[in-house]
Amino acid sequence: MTLLAKFAPLAELRAALAGSGRVPSIATPMDAVHSATEATIDGRRVLLAGTNNYLGLTFDADCRAAAIKAVETLGTGTTGSRMASGNYAGHRALEREFADAFGWPACIVFSTGYQANLGAISALAGQGDFLLVDADGHASIHDACRLSAATTIRFRHNDPENLARRLERLGEDAKRTLVVVESLYSVLGDRAPLKEFVEVTERYGAMLIVDEAHSFGMFGPKGLGICAELGLLDRVDFVLGTFSKSLGGVGGFCVSRHADFELLRLASRPYLFTASPPPAVIAATHAALKRLLAGDDLRATLWGHIHRFYDAVNRQGYRVGSKDPGPVTALVFNERDAAIGLWQGLLDAGIYTNLMVPPSTPAGLNIVRISLSAAHTEADISRMIEALGKLAAQLKPVAA
Amino acid sequence: MPATVDRVELAVREALKIAVPDIGAVDGSTHLASELGLDSAQVMDLIMEIEDHLDISIPVATIAEARTLDQLCDSVRRVVADNA
Repeated sequence: MTLLAKFAPLAELRAALAGSGRVPSIATPMDAVHSATEATIDGRRVLLAGTNNYLGLTFDADCRAAAIKAVETLGTGTTGSRMASGNYAGHRALEREFADAFGWPACIVFSTGYQANLGAISALAGQGDFLLVDADGHASIHDACRLSAATTIRFRHNDPENLARRLERLGEDAKRTLVVVESLYSVLGDRAPLKEFVEVTERYGAMLIVDEAHSFGMFGPKGLGICAELGLLDRVDFVLGTFSKSLGGVGGFCVSRHADFELLRLASRPYLFTASPPPAVIAATHAALKRLLAGDDLRATLWGHIHRFYDAVNRQGYRVGSKDPGPVTALVFNERDAAIGLWQGLLDAGIYTNLMVPPSTPAGLNIVRISLSAAHTEADISRMIEALGKLAAQLKPVAA
Repeated sequence: MPATVDRVELAVREALKIAVPDIGAVDGSTHLASELGLDSAQVMDLIMEIEDHLDISIPVATIAEARTLDQLCDSVRRVVADNA
């Protein structure tokens, strides 16, 4: 058996996901991207409803201008880590802006959102410590646990009592434990019971880190996320976020109410041993952050779309993954072919969405994931609802 | 056979029935992935069922090497022994 032989089952999965159409549902080739909501796929202009561009800032004029200016004045890359030659004024200013926005003393920027989770979690919990992680956490969280020398134990998804039982069993070691949850889960779009998680974590003297990758920008005052919305920023220890969703770039951050978090710069391998983000990425992200903090107009537009869309798909009889409306709506199917059929039908109607199947989905579910953007127009939302209505009549996707 | 061994194997088999309701006959050498068709997420569901049955916490790394039912039982026994 060769090294590559073990990947044979993936070839079968790829063939199955290709569906009956000409365009594959995974790694769908984008021929061109025209705006935050339009691209060309297979020679056809399509409406994008399968990105994480929640505020539509990838084409914001100020963000683009900031990136262009940074390239012209600072060059294309830093060619060094933050601990060497890659520690520019822009990186430090962006960290200060994030920390100030949260009212906290510490922030570290990482080169990707994935590395933010890897870098913060793996360094915070080391040899002799414990990581208690939600079973449905993002791959980056589980990979962070593998990188860490801590003992990792999973608890049932969104179940504070299940977490409490595991903390109880740890006894005194609970005080050496980092609890890891997400505020909004990106596949089904369901929210965590954060207040209950905070209470359980405090009861046992553990620390809590919350990944707000899919909620930062959309929830809470100034879009700071669900912890801020619930008034928990004085009780949560660390908040993680990414630049590649609502901020329209690439990179990640971790902010903390503990000033000593800054010392992780000397201990976090995913921070130490990689090049820092290029100046253009930092400049565009900083412009996007200022835009996000400046007003609620983009959030108001997005939430208007969300409520209209969520009500419509529920009326159409689709089984929706979360009872809480949010920027992600997951249409759930027991059968893979049904999900593929809807994904292909939407693409045929000129609407690109995401198809997600096991094992990358929770509970073995097959999902068509639709994400909305503040850059969508009312007409765009109408087009999605109309297409889903027609397909509902054909596919009979009524809640199973 | 120590009482602990019986308790662990019973718990693993009970958990298996809950995590994989349509499971057929299995013996100790049954391969969790290739024979039962469990993917990584289903194995993790199975582990959490076992934790509930035995009221223990099972570190992820402890069961990473388990490929068969017997190996899984052995891994769980080690956790039970460590907690004793």
